[in-house]
Amino acid sequence: MERGCEFGMPGQEQLQKEVMDRDLCSSCGICVGLCPYIKTVRDRVKVIYPCGHEDGTCYMVCPKTPTNIGNMDRAVFGREREDQALGLFSGIYYARALTGKPGGAQYGGAASALTGLALREGLISSAVLTGGDIKSPRPVLARDADTVARCAGSKYTGVPSLLELNRAIRDGLTDIGVVGRPCQVVAVRKSQQGNLPGPQYPSSSGIGLVLGLFCFWSLAPELYGFLQLETGGEEIVKMDIPVEGPVAYTRAGKYSWQLEDIRTFIKKSCNTCFDSTSEYADISVGSTEHDPVWNTLIIRTGKGLDIFNLALQKGVIEIREYPPERLPLLRRAALGKKMRVLSLLEKDLGNTGYITLPEKYRRDLETQWGGINQ
Amino acid sequence: MSLAGVCQEKAGVKVALTGNEAIARGALEAGVAYAASYPGSPTAEVLGTLSRVAKQFNLYAEWSVNEKVAMEGVAAASFAGLRSLVVMKADGLNVALDFAGALAISGCRGGMVMVLGDDPNAHSSVREEDSRNLCKAKHLPVLEPSSVREAMEMTREAFALSEELELPVVVRCVTRVCHASGDVELGELVRPERKPDFTRENRVITFGIKLHAGQESKLARAAHLVCDSAFNSYTGPENPERLVIASGPCYMYAQEALEMLGAGGTTGILKLGTTWPLPEALLLEHMERVPEVIFAEEVEPFVEDNVMALAAGCLPGKVRFYGKRSGHVAGPAGPGIGELDPDVLAASLGNILGINYSPGTIDNKQEALSLLEDKMPDRELAFCAGCPHRASFWAVRAALELDGRGGIVLGDIGCYTLGMARTGYYLLQTVHCMGAGIGLAGGMGNLSRFGFDKPVVTLVGDSTFYHAAIPALINARYHNSNFMCIILDNETTAMTGHQPHPGRQHTAMGEPAHTVPMEDIIRGVGMPYIVQDPYDVEASIEVIYDLLRQEGPRVLILRRSCVLAAVRGKQKDRVYVNEDKCIGDSCGCGRFCSRVFACPANVWDAEKGRARIDEAVCNGCGVCASLCPQGAIMVERGV
Repeated sequence: MERGCEFGMPGQEQLQKEVMDRDLCSSCGICVGLCPYIKTVRDRVKVIYPCGHEDGTCYMVCPKTPTNIGNMDRAVFGREREDQALGLFSGIYYARALTGKPGGAQYGGAASALTGLALREGLISSAVLTGGDIKSPRPVLARDADTVARCAGSKYTGVPSLLELNRAIRDGLTDIGVVGRPCQVVAVRKSQQGNLPGPQYPSSSGIGLVLGLFCFWSLAPELYGFLQLETGGEEIVKMDIPVEGPVAYTRAGKYSWQLEDIRTFIKKSCNTCFDSTSEYADISVGSTEHDPVWNTLIIRTGKGLDIFNLALQKGVIEIREYPPERLPLLRRAALGKKMRVLSLLEKDLGNTGYITLPEKYRRDLETQWGGINQ
Repeated sequence: MSLAGVCQEKAGVKVALTGNEAIARGALEAGVAYAASYPGSPTAEVLGTLSRVAKQFNLYAEWSVNEKVAMEGVAAASFAGLRSLVVMKADGLNVALDFAGALAISGCRGGMVMVLGDDPNAHSSVREEDSRNLCKAKHLPVLEPSSVREAMEMTREAFALSEELELPVVVRCVTRVCHASGDVELGELVRPERKPDFTRENRVITFGIKLHAGQESKLARAAHLVCDSAFNSYTGPENPERLVIASGPCYMYAQEALEMLGAGGTTGILKLGTTWPLPEALLLEHMERVPEVIFAEEVEPFVEDNVMALAAGCLPGKVRFYGKRSGHVAGPAGPGIGELDPDVLAASLGNILGINYSPGTIDNKQEALSLLEDKMPDRELAFCAGCPHRASFWAVRAALELDGRGGIVLGDIGCYTLGMARTGYYLLQTVHCMGAGIGLAGGMGNLSRFGFDKPVVTLVGDSTFYHAAIPALINARYHNSNFMCIILDNETTAMTGHQPHPGRQHTAMGEPAHTVPMEDIIRGVGMPYIVQDPYDVEASIEVIYDLLRQEGPRVLILRRSCVLAAVRGKQKDRVYVNEDKCIGDSCGCGRFCSRVFACPANVWDAEKGRARIDEAVCNGCGVCASLCPQGAIMVERGV
């Protein structure tokens, strides 16, 4: 039994109490647009009026309400995981776009290239993306490859882009692609499993492809004020946060800081996030933390494998072996985050944490962390 | 209601006029040359009427920016020898009071009449006020019409009295007279022919206490004059057992109540048309003949207190008084609160006279109400269908919740005052008087030095902005108070019937105006501002949210014409529900459009289990369509 059942099926009030009021909302946007009572502006998602219902889809699909990792694994992959660090996957590569890499794309441009390919090939009807510029990112529903190209490049504040998914479903679209953060991937999967009543909710036919991004945390929009000050108001054309610390590029040059300089802007919800590699995506895309012209690609589902193969066959991307000596570093980073989250949830939040970890997972996690940490 | 009646040239003809039209006619018969007002119920139609006939009668009529300015303009005309009229509701006198008090000291030249509209029961006001106490405090004579006919006659005669006393004269008219219709016998119309005359020789000064002595002697003369006024009259038996002293419409109520009680043979009524100063000799003459006096007036015990003071001096212990002070004359809300009516007065008089006033009529009332219940639509105080304020309030509420710091909302006076109720999602936390929201916001915005950390928002209408907001805005800029002022600009004075204000292109008389855009004022004060259309709710939420996060005094103009003015004479957009898209109660919205957003045009079709648009009520704004989570509400643009 997942927590929450003790209240009956919980709804908006519980969502507000457990997630929003405790700043645990990661602004994924999945609850925005299902009803008129939850609204968003910038990175904020809030209940603006009590809906009066005791139960609600909003609670069910929220990635920050009780989530059983074991159940999620079984629902998405049909089996449980062995690797507690990266979850279930069939392959991991370095990859980069060969064609169609937009100017603004991050690292190897693989996410943009794969999304563009899926659109061109009709595998998806449209794609939920985060567009806009670094300082004012916004949700976008792309219906063509040009729009995808304009959305290229990482944004570092939480954008509730899944509201576009809800809107697209409402407008009757199916096979919608989603490129999102790990929390957004979880939200999409939860809503797919929800057996939600009515055509207005995401279902398996609604979603065409889920590309998940690596994400260790997102930042609050107060970051923009900091950047504005630091760069003297110059336009920031690109941003990155490698291990050495954040970097921003303006037309005039490069600005860099220590991670500590921006730590205060990290969203509180991200400190309790268990998933840094989008474990439930069809394909996960991230940096290599090593070589800035390549992406890390984790092929997870059959659907992910199909489009991966198609991309190779069409020459859209090229791949390299994932350097074996770097895999422990990636696993260590992912496991380290999980350990921090677990200890935080237990210490600060008592048993109200949203992650339900099967006993076996817990034991494996400790073991794998112990192994890799030496 | 007839403008033709107001303009009727033939004297002696009887026409049906409203009280407000009768006041306008009375002024025309007195040859009024200059009239000014700020719109307010119950007297808004007086200047509305005069402005429409202004050219025909060669007079000047203006909707002034506020009551004080109106009174000053009117006084200037009087100083120059013209007959002049200023009109305002009770609340307006508070605004004009500083000048009114000074004017009572300096006195006036051309006959000057102040029509004060009191609104007992606050039918269309935020509060009920009895302006007579203020008139007394400022040494102004007061006449009180009891009927439509008297409203005309008193206004006309007040000009002459004013000239005789060289003092402005107040005609205090309550809602039940202003809004009633009745036959009046017209007098001669007089075209203003006087030429303004004010030279270096004229001095109108209010300095020194000698002038106070002059005021007192003017009032003493007035008290003497009013003893012979035809507006005071006695009806009843030659030797009554008791006397009812009644003023305003209570005179009518008293007649009816005595008739209902069958007590007309023993009880007389002294109708008091001149309530300040009191016609002392006349009162004493009547009171000497009776052991009991009962007072019938609205709202406060004004006549009662002053008559009792008179009797205490002149007839000590001889008369027993019944009224609000004794608790005998009282409506359901208590003595001195709310209106009287024949029922209330009959019950009060019956109690005093020891006549059992049958509550049978009360039963009939209940029966009548229950018979009407089905036929009367269930209406709460709400914004009109399509009112831009509804969209604005929804956006403000959303932005405040999104901001999440518990921002507070201060209100002001206008249609949007309803924002304190469900129709405005209970947003308003203060409602006081014109412009008070900005001053209060300025104060709240200064509290951060004590650790107050909530965002402060104040909502003010466009007409109220021009009327009373500007000094508070300047003060806020000067002291850098931290708040957001949202001007709900519906481009008219909507609540009182779409009168123009300085932001408009035309004056009361329909002449092209030199418009004073609010942007120019705000810019002049040095405040940043943004203009946004509230019908675009999503964009409005974003703008308000961003402004909430800024510092210092700042302005947002939510601009969209009052929908009632906007759709007049135009084909409205057709809004309807696509019944395939609306999923009724299986939607998570819980009947949002009809239950929460609650525009009167959004209704629930119980039979179909779907939302529906009442197309007879809908004004076609389409805002509900933008908020429906299913996109089930369709808008067909009119041609």
